[in-house]
Amino acid sequence: MMNGQKKRGPRIEPFRHRVETDPKFFDKSWKKLHDAIREIYNHNASGLSFEELYRTAYNMVLHKLGPKLYEKLTENMKEHLEEMRTCVEAAQGGLFLEELERKWNDHNKALTMIRDILMYMDRTYIPTNKKTPVFDLGLELWRDTIVRSPMIHGRLLDTLLELIHRERTGEVINRCLMRTTTKMLMTLGSSVYQDDFERPFLEVSASFYSGESQQFIDCYSCGDYLKLAERRLSEESERVSQYMDVKTNEKITAVVVKEMLSNHMQRLILMENSGLVNMLVEDRYEDLTRMYTLFNYVPDGLTTIRSVMMSHIKDTGKSLVTDPERLKDPVDFVQRLLNEKDKFDNIINVSFNSDKSFLNALNSSFEHFINLNNRSPEFISLFVDDKLRKGVKEANEDVLETVLDKVMMLFRYLQEKDLFEKYYKQHLAKRLISGKAASDDSERSMLVKLKTECGYQFTSKLEGMFNDLKTSQDTTQGFYASASDLADYPTISVQILTTGSWPTQPCSTCNLPPEILAVSERFRSYYLGTHNGRRLTWQTNMGNADIKTTFGNGSKHELNVSTYQMCILMLFNSSDVLTYREIEQATAIPAVDLKRCLQSLALMKGKQVLRKEPMSRDIADDDSFSVNDKFTSKLFKVKIGTVSAQKETDPEKLETRQRVEEDRKPQIEAAIVRIMKSRRVLDHNSIMTEVTKQLQPRFLPNPVVIKKRIESLIEREFLERDKTDRKMYRYLA
Amino acid sequence: MYTPPTTSTRGRVRLNVGGRVFETTAATLAAAGRDTMLGAMVDASWNSGVHDDPAPAEYFIDRDPSCFAVLLDLLRTGDLHVPPGLPEATLYREALYYGLLDRVRSARLGGFDPDRLRLASSVHGRSPGDGVAIRAAPDGGCCVSHGGASGVVRVYNWMLQERRPVYYPSHAPVNDAAYLDASTLLLAARERPGRRDDDGGVSSFSALTGETRHRFRVAHDRQPRSFTATALAFDGGCDVFASCKGRINEYGVAVWDCNTGEQTGFFYEPPGCALGEADRLQWLDGTNTLMVATMFPRTDSSFVSLLDFRDKSVVWSWSDVGTPASLEDKHAVDAVATEDGRSVCLVNQYDDLGFLDLRKNAASSGGVRWRSRSKLATMSGGKTKTKKAACGEETCYPKLAAHGGRLFASTGDAISVFSGPDHVMTSTLRCSNGGAICDFSIGGDRLFALHGEENVFDVWETPPPPII
Repeated sequence: MMNGQKKRGPRIEPFRHRVETDPKFFDKSWKKLHDAIREIYNHNASGLSFEELYRTAYNMVLHKLGPKLYEKLTENMKEHLEEMRTCVEAAQGGLFLEELERKWNDHNKALTMIRDILMYMDRTYIPTNKKTPVFDLGLELWRDTIVRSPMIHGRLLDTLLELIHRERTGEVINRCLMRTTTKMLMTLGSSVYQDDFERPFLEVSASFYSGESQQFIDCYSCGDYLKLAERRLSEESERVSQYMDVKTNEKITAVVVKEMLSNHMQRLILMENSGLVNMLVEDRYEDLTRMYTLFNYVPDGLTTIRSVMMSHIKDTGKSLVTDPERLKDPVDFVQRLLNEKDKFDNIINVSFNSDKSFLNALNSSFEHFINLNNRSPEFISLFVDDKLRKGVKEANEDVLETVLDKVMMLFRYLQEKDLFEKYYKQHLAKRLISGKAASDDSERSMLVKLKTECGYQFTSKLEGMFNDLKTSQDTTQGFYASASDLADYPTISVQILTTGSWPTQPCSTCNLPPEILAVSERFRSYYLGTHNGRRLTWQTNMGNADIKTTFGNGSKHELNVSTYQMCILMLFNSSDVLTYREIEQATAIPAVDLKRCLQSLALMKGKQVLRKEPMSRDIADDDSFSVNDKFTSKLFKVKIGTVSAQKETDPEKLETRQRVEEDRKPQIEAAIVRIMKSRRVLDHNSIMTEVTKQLQPRFLPNPVVIKKRIESLIEREFLERDKTDRKMYRYLA
Repeated sequence: MYTPPTTSTRGRVRLNVGGRVFETTAATLAAAGRDTMLGAMVDASWNSGVHDDPAPAEYFIDRDPSCFAVLLDLLRTGDLHVPPGLPEATLYREALYYGLLDRVRSARLGGFDPDRLRLASSVHGRSPGDGVAIRAAPDGGCCVSHGGASGVVRVYNWMLQERRPVYYPSHAPVNDAAYLDASTLLLAARERPGRRDDDGGVSSFSALTGETRHRFRVAHDRQPRSFTATALAFDGGCDVFASCKGRINEYGVAVWDCNTGEQTGFFYEPPGCALGEADRLQWLDGTNTLMVATMFPRTDSSFVSLLDFRDKSVVWSWSDVGTPASLEDKHAVDAVATEDGRSVCLVNQYDDLGFLDLRKNAASSGGVRWRSRSKLATMSGGKTKTKKAACGEETCYPKLAAHGGRLFASTGDAISVFSGPDHVMTSTLRCSNGGAICDFSIGGDRLFALHGEENVFDVWETPPPPII
């Protein structure tokens, strides 16, 4: 038998030397290790020889006793741990965690030394047999024997949670002990930490914050509640950084956010007297910042804030633009809009982190309510008119510039930009003709703004107006240079307005006084002499004049009046008393204008140049007028009510609207033709959307109008309906 | 009376190893690491009672002193010098005792230098069939796959001691092997007609014990099917790729998670590419693509494709289908992507090297730039021919590898090394016995060359650098 083995000997792995197996070999060796492990656990390792123990373990593995050794080791460590468990279980009250910590340190130290002894087994037997390495085995045993033992498991968790609860209610606890304990759980594996501590911790936290939030939301204002939530969040973060795993931070934050914020989101934001709307109204930047930061954590939090803010802006805006009180003063109306815009711009910039989506919400809200009032375009133009007239008073042009920039923001919200254009043109014309345009630079800068916003087309006519004035000045100079005998006539200044560039007014020429007529005719022949093929018509309804007057009482004044008024006053050079009918015949001024002129000459308080008989407000055909000899004024120059740009009366409004509608027709037609020319064939709905899209920058076309335009184009044979599909249109070249 | 320790003795350690006394410092021993026997021995936790002892600490170790001398020298200098007459196996055994085997390994195999390779040993196998493929393990070991119906793969550790062989389940013939790490071996096996449903395929094994870890299964329409896997590769993460041909002709490349063995994808073969029976798969780190090369004579034409698995697209492909026959019937028989990821190197049956530019579209680049007819190994030309004839054409086609910026090509019974941007031949590795080289592999600081005859493989290593 022995011989047979010897023969196979050399072929066996080289270092597995066969020794005479001592039947007691394992028991003897194991006893050695067993005793050593006991000494190690008893802190009495100084007498042990590491080399001897290592060699003993090595020999056991070499003799294929690895499995048995591993089994014995497991058993033995378990016994030691059970002893430790008894000690930990016996620890009273607050000493429990300390005892656990002490035993944990002991076990760790011992485990390191045990691993040292069994290093050879760790390297050879363990990997080939898929066993847990000694150190990890020690941790597993600690977990199962101590941490998860029935007497300790619940108590450990309760102790930890109790301490955290006490810390939350303001007590100071031993954080160091907490740290070592949670660290122990983490060392035992992330699943141990999560199952035995983190999950219950999050559950308990959820119920704690749920209770706290219920309690506080009833008695705190929104702002104070949010302060509390913010403080709680930072406390929890700090707690995690002090004695928990970093990964817990995200989870506990989510819990606090859910319990304190998400669950009460609607109630907090809409809280009466202190919610979001109040904060917005009172510009409480700090509270708003806090709300934004906190609800950023909440799913849909910012969306909710945004929509509440939007409906608030819409509501306040709507009441602003529809308040009949406000309609009385257009400048104030626009100023209020601008103030509102500034307010929310500030809030978004300061408190909402300049959030793009909030800015968009602000814009869309403004767009919504500004267009609720169809007079907004007019008012905005009036506001600009006011600013540009008074430009000089606002000494600083930069200030004016920023105001204009802000107005452009409002302009962008307008849907009916063509209506604004119309009004702006009118107002600009009046400013230019009456010479009230305060600053040429500001006017031009406004034009540039409109141009960049709406393109060249929008402003080309406005620019034409400026050019007309410039050439008029040159022409007038040329006129006076051309003849020397003009000094005898009253001085005139002629503004030649190109038809089409200026807002068209029904032209009704009045009879000019002969002095003026003569010089006007001279000018006409001069102008037509220098420009071939032109027509010149006098717009007597738009001019003004300065007249030197000597009243009966001897007082001398220079009266600044309109051309119509001049015509009337000149009549009194030749007669003392004139009836209304006589004046009407002599001047041929349209009755409405004439009546208005006479009213302003005779009835304006302090500026009664004429006397009316009888002294009633209404003017009848037989009423007579005479020069008021008792006219007095502190000023030498007296300005008689030139009608300045004012908001329109209702019939005027209707008229402008009609004109705008009329102007839109060719634009809609042009758009239809442009689209059809490129697409050739298109169905009805697509035309509608395309046309609307093309014209959106200027106005929102009415579908009914588009339909009518299409029909008109079909009539004029630009388009035809498809013969089979009536909804399709075909372009006819 | 207390005497303070003098500088001469502080930190000094006296070791009595098997009767011979060595004196060294605790620092030298601690440098071996806390996870070694010597490191633990001098650690404070085992020396709590001897703090105040002024005399050098003394330890007795009941081991062979001559081996200890070598290992202490290793700890002191980092060099491994084995005096003649000391058997390597004994040294390794002692190193394992002290927990220093990894140190010995890295000192023994330190630094692979393609220009200074020396034949370290030739290992004779004991398998019935000739070896067909050899793969180097990352730690310096290797495995040899044997043809025939045995499905056996012989596994060697870095000390070239043979471990338990790996048998593919039901002994399916193994086509390709790859080391996922030093202790995990992947095998791709051929499915045999008429066997049960889970024949062939891809599996991972413990390289230490030969046990199966995972079967990597392929499902089509949620139905697991048996398949033949021809080539393997894995990326830097946890994806394993294999070129697969299913029983009902499902051709393509399958992807698995190497940790779980779960299939995570399947790239079905598009027209114009050959993916299902590739000779070589190679993961290209730089472009995150997988090179799939299918070569003559497995197919009539040769194909090379780059696959991007993120969007399941073929980002580059080449084939010699339709190449004019006038080119003396040159067929690419192996392909490897160069390490810079810019080109693919090919070799044909006449041992010519050719290159494909990956940065250009394959169609526009004008196909393969074959190097002018320079026999790689002109000296042995005639000899190779006869050998080839003797051992059969198939086993002796040239093979390629790219490593450390060099290209390696096996031609006949030699391996040529090409260096530099122009791939100039800089050295030739030849060992006369064993006949033509049928496969070779580089890894773990070694080059392994498997010969087509006599069941022998050569191990080439870089000797320690000169002292000065």
